[in-house]
Amino acid sequence: MAVATPTLDHGHATEHHHHQTGHDHGHADNYAIAWRNNRLGLWLFFLSEIFLFGGLLATRFYLWQENGVITRPEVDQLVGLIVTVVLLISSYTMNLSETALEHGDRRTFMGGLVITAILGLIFLFGVMIFEWGLFPAIYEGHLTPWGDVYGAVVFAMTGMHALHVISGLAFIAIVWNLGRQGHFSPERHWGVEACAIYWHFVDLVWIFFYPALYLIGEVVHH
Amino acid sequence: MNTKRAAAYRLSTTIALVLAVLTGIEYFVALYSASAVIMFLIGLAKAYFVVNYFMHIARLWRTEGGH
Repeated sequence: MAVATPTLDHGHATEHHHHQTGHDHGHADNYAIAWRNNRLGLWLFFLSEIFLFGGLLATRFYLWQENGVITRPEVDQLVGLIVTVVLLISSYTMNLSETALEHGDRRTFMGGLVITAILGLIFLFGVMIFEWGLFPAIYEGHLTPWGDVYGAVVFAMTGMHALHVISGLAFIAIVWNLGRQGHFSPERHWGVEACAIYWHFVDLVWIFFYPALYLIGEVVHH
Repeated sequence: MNTKRAAAYRLSTTIALVLAVLTGIEYFVALYSASAVIMFLIGLAKAYFVVNYFMHIARLWRTEGGH
């Protein structure tokens, strides 16, 4: 007995004007099954990631307190707000890009990916320069990963998040390159959806990291 | 522009604006009251919009798989 194995080839934008024969229906069904399974797999991956980031968040609240009072280090509020807004806008442009492809607007799809990647890079360099102080000529940071619990937690949280930003940027670059070659169509674009959802997950993590690092608690570390 | 596409772009823009407003509220709450509970609730509201509208969590229960 032949068993159909669901596979996901992204489909070429010009390959979707053929007649729907029985074979085509079978292929489309396989794609739909694979798409649904992959979507579930990605969300299970996010579930595992929630344990990772949740652990870091719990660490922050466990270590940054004195006599039951929640504390935090002195950080530049304006920098925190700017990088947060940049990441938020990048989530918007990524959503526009995905929406555009779903409606056959390839120009906005490709442009949205490029703008998202640029905003992601701005966020990343903002963190590297203003939170980590990697370029003292531009900005002298006062926290180090080995200095105390404040520095250790800031670097652990922002470092793990930055790693996900970097992998998200690599994902965007791959999708952009495939899109440039004509892959993906409104009917077949699991790769684009996965990339977009992954990028939004990076934003989702920052939604909780931003107040935890910048806003909550009394400033005790200068 | 196709009406469906325009409506989809409008929804994206509306959600982004809602998130921007919530971020602004969060910032000012931190400046004036510093209530961790309020900030956590604002964070949850923002997470709801991202998970529901940007990450399309409802598609997990779709049977057709596509769009």
